[in-house]
Amino acid sequence: MDERLKRLRAADRLSAPTVIQALLPTFVPLHGDRVLGDDAALTAGFGRTADQQALTVLGIDRGQNVNERRQKNGGALTVPGYRTALRVLAHTEKFRMPVVSLLNMPGADASPQSEEHGQSQAIADLIAAMGQLTVPNIVVFLGEGHSGGALGFANANRVIMLDDSLFNVASPEAVAAILHGQQTVSAAIDLLPMTAAALKQRGLVDVVIDHRAPDLVATLSTQIIDLLVPLLPVMPDALIAQREEKFQAFLEQWPLN
Amino acid sequence: MSHYPATGQWTTCRVCGRHVHARQWGTWRQCPYCQAWQRLTAKQRIDQLVDADSFEPLPVVARSQNQLAFPGYATKLAQATEKTGLTEAVVAGWATIQTWPVMLIVMDSHFMMGTLNTTVSRRIMAALKQARQRQVPVIMVTASGGARMQEGIYALVGMNLILAEMARLAAVPVPVISVLTDPTMGGVSASFAFKADVVLAEAGAKIGFAGPRVIQQTMPVDLPADFQSAASLYENGAVDAVIARPELRDQLGDILASYRFQGVSTHG
Ligand SMILES: [Zn+2]
Repeated sequence: MDERLKRLRAADRLSAPTVIQALLPTFVPLHGDRVLGDDAALTAGFGRTADQQALTVLGIDRGQNVNERRQKNGGALTVPGYRTALRVLAHTEKFRMPVVSLLNMPGADASPQSEEHGQSQAIADLIAAMGQLTVPNIVVFLGEGHSGGALGFANANRVIMLDDSLFNVASPEAVAAILHGQQTVSAAIDLLPMTAAALKQRGLVDVVIDHRAPDLVATLSTQIIDLLVPLLPVMPDALIAQREEKFQAFLEQWPLN
Repeated sequence: MSHYPATGQWTTCRVCGRHVHARQWGTWRQCPYCQAWQRLTAKQRIDQLVDADSFEPLPVVARSQNQLAFPGYATKLAQATEKTGLTEAVVAGWATIQTWPVMLIVMDSHFMMGTLNTTVSRRIMAALKQARQRQVPVIMVTASGGARMQEGIYALVGMNLILAEMARLAAVPVPVISVLTDPTMGGVSASFAFKADVVLAEAGAKIGFAGPRVIQQTMPVDLPADFQSAASLYENGAVDAVIARPELRDQLGDILASYRFQGVSTHG
């Protein structure tokens, strides 16, 4: 496997639960969508930072050992995961808590069950709800985030990426596949703008953090709060407009003719 | 069959593989052997749905190009244009259906499998915006394999932007009707396809997120014949009705007549 991908998918990769634990000394986990079930890949809940800032978190990780990876479906979120996230968003609007999403997930879950549960509608609902969220939201790419599922969480006011993380329409493997083996998976990573550096240069990403930073978790926590604080007084309509303007400006880089 | 003109009139049924003559397909483009519905071009779809000569296309607001220099994409775009006579995988315009004015958005799977890219997103957003401004009901006929990989993250963010436009549309009582046709997958089904007031599925259509091939690459599983079929979506409660192609126009007319939408009264 490509060295970069190996690092992102490694068992000891910095994971959402680790960041959440450091970020929120008091944390109330929320579980289940109340209809279909729970998704172990999602760590959701709310709590307070050391400085007493209330926060909602939505973390997705692949699991740190074989057993966890099985339970968490390798980080491929299922419909109960999206629906739980939607429930948590309703909760966060009630209490006016900003939202921080932390991602390391492959593309969508490819299974008959996810199809029967309405994966399409769940993803569409999450993208729409995140876009219309009346409190500030920030997404942090700790590893990979591909396809519509990651996009839902990334429909955010601010985007942070670790310098070696990836955000794309599909996994590098899927990009290589449409080229029928003419390019390796490693080459595919550089065929489309999916690295933190490429997306920062194009204005989609606000902050890039070195994954080798000596105290990465503390650095990350500080950066999240620094980005969040100026957003706290922003009115709901402006937060919604700001998200759309960000993605619209990104699209405008693509000329009309 | 010697009485059929010989050249350019025979096509292969995508489902049963038999050669079918243009006249055998008939008005509704149904295979005489296996009864499968052939995928329609945007033009065929529009002709089947709207009152004669009522379709007025919106001016083309964007054209596609290989902005990211993705290998082979420029050629694919040129071939798709050549094959379909379209400049992209969606056509939108004003029309009437049984005299009811509508904004009609029709995707065409013959253009790079109807994939969603920057241009398709822009055209859909423009159509939705104009429908909202003029207060005209929207009919979206989807046919797409999902987001267009060759445009990378730019194709993906179109989903955010279309849903933002749909949120504004949802805030006014302008009816939005979705018709999911074969295939409606990936980034289209996971963005605007189901975000309608009434969601219809055309009989025979396959609708889902991940296609059967992707699922079977991930896990060795036997998928039932009706997997992701319009009928199974109806059974699962995902769509309001399954409509056979010949009834679609009348069904849309009935829905429009039931809304009897005549614009929202505004004050000042
Ligand atoms: Zn046939």
